[in-house]
Amino acid sequence: MPDEEALEEGVLSPVETEVQDPLLKSILADNAAQAPTELEKPLEIPAPADEVDCVVIGTGAGGAPLLARLAMAGLKVVALEAGPWHDPKKDFATDEKAQEFLFWNDERLSAGHDPIAFGKNNSGTGVGGSTLHYTAYTPRPQPADLHLRRDFGVGQDWPFGYEELEPYFEELEQFLGISGPTPYPWGPARKKGYPLAPLPLNGAAQLMQRGCEKLGIRTSPAANAALSARYYQEGVGWREACTNRGFCQAGCSTGAKASMDVTFLPLAAKHGADIRPGSYVTEIERDQTGRITGVVYTQNGQQVRQRCRHLFLCAGAIETPRLLLLNELALNSGHVGRNFMAHPGVQVFGTFEEAVRPYKGIPGALISEDTHRPKDADFAGGYLLQSIGVMPVTFAGEVARGRGLWGQPLRDYMRQYNHVAGINILGDCLPHEANFLELAEEKDARGLPKPRIHFTSQPNELRMSAHAEALMRRIWEAAGATDIWSFPRNAHIIGTARMGLSGDDAVVDANGRAFDVPNLYICDNSVFPSALSVNPALTIMALSLRTADKFLGQHATTTHP
Amino acid sequence: MSESPYPSGSVRALLATDLVTSATRAALEARLHAPPYTPQFFEQDTYELLRAVAARLLPQPERPAPIELAPALDQRLLAGTSDGWRYDALPPDREAFRLGLGGIRQSAQALFQREFEQLSPEQQDAVLQAVQQGTAPGEIWQTVPAARFFEELLAELTETYYAHPLAQEEIGYAGMADVPGWTKIGLNEKEDREI
Repeated sequence: MPDEEALEEGVLSPVETEVQDPLLKSILADNAAQAPTELEKPLEIPAPADEVDCVVIGTGAGGAPLLARLAMAGLKVVALEAGPWHDPKKDFATDEKAQEFLFWNDERLSAGHDPIAFGKNNSGTGVGGSTLHYTAYTPRPQPADLHLRRDFGVGQDWPFGYEELEPYFEELEQFLGISGPTPYPWGPARKKGYPLAPLPLNGAAQLMQRGCEKLGIRTSPAANAALSARYYQEGVGWREACTNRGFCQAGCSTGAKASMDVTFLPLAAKHGADIRPGSYVTEIERDQTGRITGVVYTQNGQQVRQRCRHLFLCAGAIETPRLLLLNELALNSGHVGRNFMAHPGVQVFGTFEEAVRPYKGIPGALISEDTHRPKDADFAGGYLLQSIGVMPVTFAGEVARGRGLWGQPLRDYMRQYNHVAGINILGDCLPHEANFLELAEEKDARGLPKPRIHFTSQPNELRMSAHAEALMRRIWEAAGATDIWSFPRNAHIIGTARMGLSGDDAVVDANGRAFDVPNLYICDNSVFPSALSVNPALTIMALSLRTADKFLGQHATTTHP
Repeated sequence: MSESPYPSGSVRALLATDLVTSATRAALEARLHAPPYTPQFFEQDTYELLRAVAARLLPQPERPAPIELAPALDQRLLAGTSDGWRYDALPPDREAFRLGLGGIRQSAQALFQREFEQLSPEQQDAVLQAVQQGTAPGEIWQTVPAARFFEELLAELTETYYAHPLAQEEIGYAGMADVPGWTKIGLNEKEDREI
């Protein structure tokens, strides 16, 4: 076994020279007390590069659309992405374990009564961010999702209404080539239908359709950001139709799924955006007035400084507040890291006589939004229902964790894999003081504090999940399932740097600009004031375009924004 | 104990065809042809205990040689990599697995006064069940939550098992053969290459 010292968790170079001089020791101790992180030691960094108009941290659904928008407006923009730039056609295997490099695998500490799973569950890395492994499920929120407090007296309202986002939803659906039903059965009437017909239904979707029909629940093929036909992508060229690989959550190798690396990022690059992979930001630098002057990032083991006039922080609902806390930035409201929300996403599986072979087809092929505001609800808000395909390794892990099966019963159950189908919900979540992110004492491999995330489902989430689980069990019984069981889980991560009307209870204003820092914008799922009862990707992208437009509008009168 | 309803050799046959991409083939064949492994993180006796535990969590009596599940865990702990999160209630992974396996040892002694490896399969299962239910005796379980540790250990070994081509043959998974795409995706529909 290797040396015990070298094995210390997360420490790359554990040996530090001991300081002998008592005076120097006490000075260092004082400094350490004031500046507990590595960040505040003076940095020897190559001479500052040229100042650019905007630096964007993160290239996922929050960063990529605005990067393209800003580049197209003629601004000099740089995107910093922690992960590498992949060639999906060549690099992506149809193998869950081999694809684990897509996930943000730096360890996070999950606390509370219902600890959240990160990594493959909701957090990505690489040029394209989490969109490299999102399921491509892209329903619009409904208008009422934005004003839960007005309707129910709980949660938090958005500082603007659905009409602010609607034009962006339409633009995105057309630009990304979203496949979906026209007309869409729920929500307000739309000016434009989806540009492509829905993707075909797989076995799980057909079974959910059968069960729902018997219970009088309306269903529809879902909106998915994967192409049901060849589609011309501006700045990219032709993207080919989805081949039903079913592998969206572990990386699309054909370019049919509208991840950012095959849509907004090539468009941004075409208009001059400088996208730098392998660039992990550690420090955000400011002048004496509090204005951001640039960022410091690590690339290939070297520290690099990039000066900028404006910073767009788009690193997701964990890394965004973590960067703010590490840099003691935009903390006046006291809300950075607070209001952490995660969608109730309980899954119900059943075994069917028919062969399902759940690895084929778009995983979330069928939707129902009849449960958006259920008549018999004993909770605020609502949820959507979604059929789910599932890959074998992911499924086996859920069987182990959720059913606790092991030994021969585990192997016997897994032999029915080809006859298993699932449904899950995606439900609203309320902010609660018990649910928050903080910096832990434990350090990561870079010597930075790991984030600790506390999450406990509150009564509203518990009542909603119970309602949904009972309904999904009835649907599966009606469809002919046996051996029905549920896997409680929470999905997307939301709300840790929320948007609002006042700097007293929000981190950014309605345009996405930080109340405390004039040239800092935040755009990702951390700014959501409420969780919404839909998958967040489409709304994050809409906010991203809107944030860019608000920024450009504000600076339109000056020659240099 | 039921038999696999699928014929043996299906995935291995697919790997030899151009229905599988080279990246996919490389990943699966590396597991299929894994060389003999010497532990690098665990001490030899702890490693053997881990193998004995794995043999009860995923028993493989029908295989001439079992799919080895311990090497992947040993390698991961050596590399210090993570799947992106851990229960805050558990210590860091390296410590958690050393302590947890030590806890299984203590429980075996407390319940049956013998080493875990020397117990009958039924006795071993009784130890593991007590760990899963959080009722296992032993000093280590005063500080390490037994049920959480068991969940982590079981999930990791299970995912390693079902990532193996032979296990995928056993459950009739053919998703790796996706070069031509899938057109027959509805209920009871399958392509010729599916099992």
